[in-house]
Formats: sequence, C-alpha cells, structure tokens
Amino acid sequence: MKQLAYYPGCSLHGTAPELDSSFRASAAALDVELAEIPGWECCGNTAAHSADRLLAAALPVNELTKVKTDMRLDAVAVPCAACFSRFMAGAHEMQDEGMRADVERVVGRAYPGGVTVRNLVDVYYDEVGLDELTTRVTRPFVGLKVAAYYGCLLTRPPEVTLADDPEYPTHMEAIVKALGAVPVEWSYKTDCCGASLALCEQDVVIELVRKILTNAKACGAEAVVCACPLCQVNLDTRQAGIKTKDAAWQEIPILYLSQMVGRAIGVPEGKLGLKKHMVDVVGVMA
Amino acid sequence: MAAIDTALAARVSAEAGTNAYKCYQCKKCSTGCPVAGFAELHPAQIIRLVQLGDLDSVLDGDFIWLCTGCETCTTRCPQGIDIAAVMDEMRIIARQTKRVKKDAPFANILDLNLKSMKRWGRLYEVELLMLDKLTRPSSLMDDVGMGIKMFAKGKINPLPTVGDRTQMKRMLAEIEKIKGERS
Ligand code: SF4
Ligand code: SF4
Repeated sequence: MKQLAYYPGCSLHGTAPELDSSFRASAAALDVELAEIPGWECCGNTAAHSADRLLAAALPVNELTKVKTDMRLDAVAVPCAACFSRFMAGAHEMQDEGMRADVERVVGRAYPGGVTVRNLVDVYYDEVGLDELTTRVTRPFVGLKVAAYYGCLLTRPPEVTLADDPEYPTHMEAIVKALGAVPVEWSYKTDCCGASLALCEQDVVIELVRKILTNAKACGAEAVVCACPLCQVNLDTRQAGIKTKDAAWQEIPILYLSQMVGRAIGVPEGKLGLKKHMVDVVGVMA
Repeated sequence: MAAIDTALAARVSAEAGTNAYKCYQCKKCSTGCPVAGFAELHPAQIIRLVQLGDLDSVLDGDFIWLCTGCETCTTRCPQGIDIAAVMDEMRIIARQTKRVKKDAPFANILDLNLKSMKRWGRLYEVELLMLDKLTRPSSLMDDVGMGIKMFAKGKINPLPTVGDRTQMKRMLAEIEKIKGERS
C-alpha cells in the first residue's frame, strides 16, 4: 500500500465533485492510500500570483510543509492542474534565498523541502505505473478514440513543472492505451482553453474552446480526456455557447482521466459521477 | 505623449526576476499567445513597452486583463524571459497604483477570488459567482441558464468548505508586516 498526501483543492469541493470521487475510488482500487491534508487552504491560483508574489509562494509552501513536517509523507497528489502548478511554483520559488526567508517567516516555520508533487497523470503513470495499471484492467475500452488534453499548466513552464516534453507530452496517451482506448495525434493538446477567463470573457473563451475541440474532432477523437477540473468544466460547459453561434456543432464528451481509469479497472459507476457532465458521457463510457 | 518611467524594467527585474531588456522582438511569445488576437496589444509589445518605460500604454490597454497566465510565452521565449511573470507584475502595479481598468471584468473576478480565499481559507466558487453578478452588472445574465443546469446535475456544491482560517490570518498579517517594514 502506497500512501500519498492528498490536496483536493477548491474546485474538487466546488464544481468538480466527480473528479474527487473518481480519483479517490480509482486510487483506492489501485492500492494508493490518500491522506487528505488537514485544514488545507486555497493554493492561491491566478488571483494570488497576479496580486502578491509572497502570498502566492506562501500558500502552497504552507501545504508542502504540512505534508512533510506534520504528516511525515514524501509525496502529495494534486489532481487539479492549476493547484499542481502553484505547488510546483511555490517549491521553485524556495530556491531563491531571500524569498525563502520571507516565506518561512510568513508560514511560521522552516520549509523542509523533499516533497514530490504528483498531478493526476503522474499518480497513474509514476506512482502506480503502466505495467501495474495494465494488469488491473478488467473492462477495457474497446478502441474508443480519445484526444488527451493537457492544457497549459500541467507542463508549463518546464523549469517549474519539470515536464520532460512540455510541447507534446504523451504520458496521458500511454495511460489511455493501457486502458484499451486509442489516443489520437492532434495539434491542440497543450493549447490554453482560457478557463481562467471563463467567468468574464465569454466570447474569447468560446472561441478558444471551439478551436481546440474542432481539431480534436478533425483528428478522429470521439471524446476528449483531461486532467484538470478547470479544463473539464470549460470544455464541457462552453459547447452550449458554441452551439448558439453554430447550430450545426456536434458535441463531444469531455472525460476526466480518473473516470476512464476507474471504469476500466471496475470502479462502481456510482463513484464516477458520469451524470454530472453537461455533454453526455454515458454513451462513450458504456 | 506618454510619461516615461525609466525605472520600470528595473522594477520588473527586481520583483519578477526577469530581464525585459533581453527581448529582441522575435515575437514568438505573441504567435503562441491564445489571446493575442483579442486585444489591441500583444505580449511582445508589452515587453517593448516595459523596455521603453511606457507604463501608461500598458495600463491603459486591456491586454494584461486578458492574459490567461498559460505560460506558453515563457516556455517558448528564446531569450528565457519570463513573460507571464511580467504580466503578473503589470497587474500588481495596476493594483498598487489603483490604476486597474474600470471595464476589466477579469480584474473584478481576481479581486473577489482573493477576498474569498482570505475569508474562508479556500475559494468559495458559488459565492464568487454571486458576488461577481452583484458587483459587475454586465455579468448579470451571463451563464445563468448554465448555472441552473449545473446545480440540477449536482455539478456544483453550493456550500463552502473552510481551510485553516487561523493560519490564513496569521500568514496575511505577517505579509502586511513584512511589507510595512520595507516601505
Ligand atoms: S519571445 Fe522573448 S525575445 Fe521573442 S519577442 Fe517575446 S519576449 Fe521578446
Ligand atoms: S501567459 Fe498570457 S501573455 Fe503569455 S501566452 Fe499565455 S495568455 Fe499570452
């Protein structure tokens, strides 16, 4: 049994309950025990880093310190790509001595370092591993064509995320292949969907989502799979807006990687939250 | 003629840790930027304005409030300039000098977001949506239908969950103290 600290983040308690439940259930089925960080706080997201650099660093470092010093764990699972990026950025900022001293003062204790931050893809790819995952598959997807969407923050910037292939990552493709699905090659897997503008610049966001999904469909995908609650909500809910501009728009289902893994390894459907999507996913997940 | 702030690039270098003078205007940042086509300025022009010390043109434009923080520019810049951090710094300056554009909806969202996390220790998404509607009339009808559908499907949890508010308060107070000592 592997033990990881777990940082759900605000979205998993807000608009992404199906990511939380499918992630927890698939992790448990794969013998990964998740220990939620007690009293975790917001990672700060764009609001903090566009207002105050010290606050933006202190918020994630406070959580990393709890993981190491209080929970005595060496790795934390952070399924939201935006939170993941703030955690990595916080750890990166600690390389600067002046910043480190300030952050430690704000947090109120020494930063121990030494915590590996795992995003949703990493948990399956690195913590569980492809070989193990393959042996656990009991209900493979038979030839379902999917476009793996990474968006911005899982891989960028590579100095911070430590992604080995930031422009054309392939770990998610390897995972869905292990589940029996067929990943398509496509051009928009790391393009930004504009989720941070989702509440305020609808025309911009609808256009960004339209471009991404149009390419996924043109490359043969029957569904898009993602690893971030902000991307999923944006790609899923904005299709109604695309439809108001283009009545002929054919909707495409937007899945979470954890839902695909969960279905393939036999997690009960009640934990996958398939009915919470705006664009129906039940068809492709049947 | 815009006022010239000769210390602008130096401030960016000190605060955002990146040197705007290294930019040679290849415009790779702009070609990969998802929102370059939606504003009157694009990222390479913002970097040029920083070099020139033309803060007014940066703050009067709407680009910094359209930038999604996607880090494509930073990842691709051949000169290793952290362009996304420059955008952050411009937003920080806008806030500090009370020159946030009135008609920049993103600024309102970010502000409410910050208040929410300070209050609850976490971001309370539903409160954020409601307050945005109250404080920014143009948002009133946006997404109402979608919001109702999301509630109906159990896609949104209407209640806040709270973080360690004592530690949040402590951290915020300490940040203010540090700022006070240095101002
Ligand atoms: S990519 Fe870098 S060097 Fe090229 S224009 Fe942008 S900031 Fe300047
Ligand atoms: S971080 Fe901002 S400026 Fe840079 S590419 Fe993304 S949206 Fe454009």
